Amino acid sequence: MELTQFKELLFQAGEKAGFEEMELYYANGEKFSTKVYNGEVDSYTLATDAGLSFRGLINGQMGYAYTEKIDHSSVQLLVDGAKENAFILDTEDHEDLYSGADSYPALDLFADELENVSPSTKIDFLKEVEKACFARSNKVSSVNYCMLQSFSSDKRIANSKGLDVMDRGNGIFVFVSVVVKDNEDIKSAQKLAISRDFSAFEAEKIANVAVDEALSYLGAESVKSGYYPVIFKNKAAAALLQTFVGSFSADNVHKGKSRLANKVGEKIAGKNITIIDNPHDTKGFSSRSFDSEGVPTKPLHVLEEGVLKTYLHNRKTAKKDGVSSTGHASKASYKGTIGISPSNLYIKAGEESFDHIVSNSKEAIVITSLQGLHSGANPISGDFSLAAHGYLVKNGKILRPVNQITVAGNFFSLLNDVESVGNDLETELPSGGAIGSPSLKVSKLSVGGK
Amino acid sequence: MIAKSLIEKIMNAALETGGDFAEVFVEDKMNTSIGLVGGKVERSISGKDFGIGIRILQGNNSVYGYTNDHSEEALLKITHQVAQALNGEGNSTILPLRGETFHSVHPIRYAPLDVAKTKKVERMREVYHVAKEYHSSISQVSVGYRDEDQRVLIANSEGTFIEDRRIRTRLSAQAVASNNSEMQTGSYSPGAHKGFELMDELDLSFYGREAARIATTMLHARECPSGQFPVIIDNEFGGVIFHEACGHGLEATSVAKGNSVFSDKLGERVAPDIVTYIDDGTLSNEWGSQNIDDEGERTRKNVLIENGILKGYLIDKLGGRRMGMDPTGSSRRESYKYAPTSRMTNTFIAPGTSSREEIIANTEFGIYAKYMGGGSVNPATADYNFAVNEGYIIRNGKIAEPVRGATLIGNGAKTLQKVDMVGNNLAHGQGMCGSVSGSIPANVGQPTIRVSEITVGGRGQS
Repeated sequence: MELTQFKELLFQAGEKAGFEEMELYYANGEKFSTKVYNGEVDSYTLATDAGLSFRGLINGQMGYAYTEKIDHSSVQLLVDGAKENAFILDTEDHEDLYSGADSYPALDLFADELENVSPSTKIDFLKEVEKACFARSNKVSSVNYCMLQSFSSDKRIANSKGLDVMDRGNGIFVFVSVVVKDNEDIKSAQKLAISRDFSAFEAEKIANVAVDEALSYLGAESVKSGYYPVIFKNKAAAALLQTFVGSFSADNVHKGKSRLANKVGEKIAGKNITIIDNPHDTKGFSSRSFDSEGVPTKPLHVLEEGVLKTYLHNRKTAKKDGVSSTGHASKASYKGTIGISPSNLYIKAGEESFDHIVSNSKEAIVITSLQGLHSGANPISGDFSLAAHGYLVKNGKILRPVNQITVAGNFFSLLNDVESVGNDLETELPSGGAIGSPSLKVSKLSVGGK
Repeated sequence: MIAKSLIEKIMNAALETGGDFAEVFVEDKMNTSIGLVGGKVERSISGKDFGIGIRILQGNNSVYGYTNDHSEEALLKITHQVAQALNGEGNSTILPLRGETFHSVHPIRYAPLDVAKTKKVERMREVYHVAKEYHSSISQVSVGYRDEDQRVLIANSEGTFIEDRRIRTRLSAQAVASNNSEMQTGSYSPGAHKGFELMDELDLSFYGREAARIATTMLHARECPSGQFPVIIDNEFGGVIFHEACGHGLEATSVAKGNSVFSDKLGERVAPDIVTYIDDGTLSNEWGSQNIDDEGERTRKNVLIENGILKGYLIDKLGGRRMGMDPTGSSRRESYKYAPTSRMTNTFIAPGTSSREEIIANTEFGIYAKYMGGGSVNPATADYNFAVNEGYIIRNGKIAEPVRGATLIGNGAKTLQKVDMVGNNLAHGQGMCGSVSGSIPANVGQPTIRVSEITVGGRGQS
C-alpha cells in the first residue's frame, strides 16, 4: 500500500482511539550480501525490506507499536498496541512530538554510481580479495570470512504536528578474516573496508593488511603478569571508547547509570583529550541530517581539552535539564523506542605518529585487539578486564607478538592518564554508531599473563 | 499464512536456473517488550515481525532472498532475482506438498497475547521491590520482560509443508549497588519456551534478590588477582564457556570447512572421560527447545561428546551436503532475514558424581566462579574470554573473600582437556546466542565443574 494513504488511514484510526498527537516512522531498504570461500560463492543474499512504527500521545503518555506487514490488517494492530502500551507507562518524564525545524543540513549520503555495480562485479572483486590473501603468504591456511555487503535505505518521519522529513543513504563494505598457520601455531586477523565509492576498494591492499597483521601474531606468547605502560592501537582504543560511550548519554545520567552525573563543566580527562561528535561527516556511516525525533543535527564538542561540555540529549532529556536537544535521539530501528546514541563520535587526533610513540617507549605493550567488550567491561563503573593481544615493546622497538593476556583498568581513570595521543585517527563501525580514536598511550595498566 | 498454490509457484520459479532444492520460510511473530526502571514503567513496545525467506540450493551452493511484501508479484520478483545467481538448466521438479502435523511436546497454558500488559507489569513490580529493598546500597533496579509468539510455515521442494508455533517468555532483573565512589551490577534473566505461566511458576523474588545480592557482594569485593589458577565454574549459566569454546566448534558451519579443532576427529578422544556433552532440542518447554528446526526437521537429542570421545556434530541440510552426513534437526535462524544453519538448542555437560561441596573442599587455592557473565571465542583459534559476574577466592578448601573484575581466558580445546571434576548438579541457564544465522534463544548448562588451570585476568594482587 502507498505510504501516504496508509498514514491517513492510520491517523484516522488513531484519532478515533483518542490519540492527541501521532507519528509514523518508516524505513525501507535493499541489501545484497555475499561470501566467497575457496573461489566459490559461499552465500548470496538479496533482500528488500521495510518496517513501520507508530507512536502517539494519549493519556499524557507516548505509546509505541510497529509492524513489518504493511497492509489494512495492521492499522488496528498498531493503534490498539500503542494505546495499551501507553496506558501501562507511568514515567514522569513525558515525551511529545516535534513539529519540525525551518531548515535541515543538506548531506549527500547517497552515491548513485554505487547502485550500478552488479552482483557479479562484486563477487569477482571478493574472489580477487581471497586470491590476494593466499598469494600474500603460503602460511595463509584459510580465508575463513570473505564477505561483501551493499545496502541502501530510506527513512521518513511524518507526524500530525507538521513534521515530514526524509533521508536516504547507501554504502558498501568488505570484511575479510584470514587464518595463518605455522606448524601448530594458528593466528587470525581481520580487515573491514567501508565506502560509498566501490572504485576506491583495492583487493590487494585489503588482503595484505589482513594477512600481514595475522602473520605478525605468529609465535605470540604471554607476558609476566604486572603493571606495564600500554599503547592502545587506534582500533583498540576506539573499541574501548565505544564500550563506555553510553556514559555521555543524558538518559543514563538521569537513570543513575553514568559516572559523569553532575560533571558538566568539570575536568574529567587529561588536557590532551577532546571528543567530538560529527553527524555531518559525509564519509561517516552514522551521518544524518536529522535524528530519530526529526531534530536537525549539528557537530558537537562533547569533551574539550578534558572538560566535559555537554551530555548527548534527545528532546525528553533536554527538557528535563532545561537545555536544547543536541540531536541525538535514536531508535535502533522501527522496532525501538526513542533513546540516545552518538553519530560519528571520535577522540581528536594528536600530533605523534604511532611509530614515534613506540620508539619513545622503553618498555610497553601494544594492544591491537580487545575481546569480550560486551562482558568483560562494566559500562557504568568504567571498570574493564579484557582479553587482548598485540606486541611487546622493548627499547623503542616491537620485540615480539603477545597473546593470552588480559588488560584491566578503569576507563575514566585512563582518560586522565594518557601520555600520548597519536595522529592516526581511525573509525570503527560497531552497531549504533561510528566510533573513532587515534592510538593512545597510557602510563600504567595491570596486565595479566603468566 | 501463504496459499499452498503460491508456494508451489515460488518453488517452481526458484528451480528454473539449475537449483535442486527450494525452500520457503514464512514467519509471523508478535513481540512484546516492557521496561521498568526505578519502579516506573518507562518503555513498552509491541509489534509484528513478518516476512518470507526463499532459499535455493544447487549442490553445495546456497542462495537466499527475503522480503516482507507478501504479494505474489513481489515474491516472484525476489525469487527470480535470487535464482539468477545460479547457472544451469531447470530440470528439478517439486514433490507434492504433504501437510504434516505433530503433537507439540511444549504445551503452552497462557499465550502471552491473551494476557493484559497490566498483569505483566504487576509481576515486574514484584521483582523490582524485592531487589530494591534488599539493601540500602541498591541505587537502581531495572526489570525487563519480553514475550514472543512466533508462527512459522516451512515448505520445500521435497514435499515438506509444516507449521509450528513457538512461544517464549523471559524476565530480566538488573540491580546496581553503589557507594560514594563505586558502582557494581548484578543481573539474572530466566526464560522458557512457555507462555505467561512462566511468571507463576518462577519464584520471582529469588531472581530479584539474587540480582541485588550479586551487586551488593561485588560492591564490597576486592579486585581479582591475575595468574593461572584452578577454577571452579558453578552449574547452570556456567555452561556458557563450553557453549562458546566447544559448542560452536561442533557446528557444521565450522566443521564442514575444516576450520574447527573438532574437524575429522569423530571417534577420537577430545576430552577426559568424565566429560559428556549433549545438545537436546526436545527438552520440554526449555528456552532453546522447539518441535521442529527451521528446515522443518524434528529436533532431537544429539550426543556430541560421550565419555570424552567425539561422537557427533550439529548439522543442517547444507552442512550435511558439504560433509556427506545427515542433518541432525539443528538448523536454526533468528528470523526470515537469515538463511538457516547449524546451531545449538539446549547444550550441556551431563552430570557426574561429585557434589559441589566435595569439589570446593578438594581445592586448596583457586577461583570459584559462582555466576558467569558473557564472553566470546575466536572460531579460528578457539581462544575464548569470559567475564565472571560473581567470583570468590578459594583458600584451603573453603570459599573465602569475594573478588570482582575477573576474566577467564584460554583455548577451548585445551580447557576441555583440563576438566578434572564434574558435579552431580546439572542445571540450565538461558542466553541469546549470536552467529551467522542471527541471535537465537539457547540454553547453556552444566553441573559444577573444576578446570585444573585457567588464565585469570584481574587487577588485584594475589
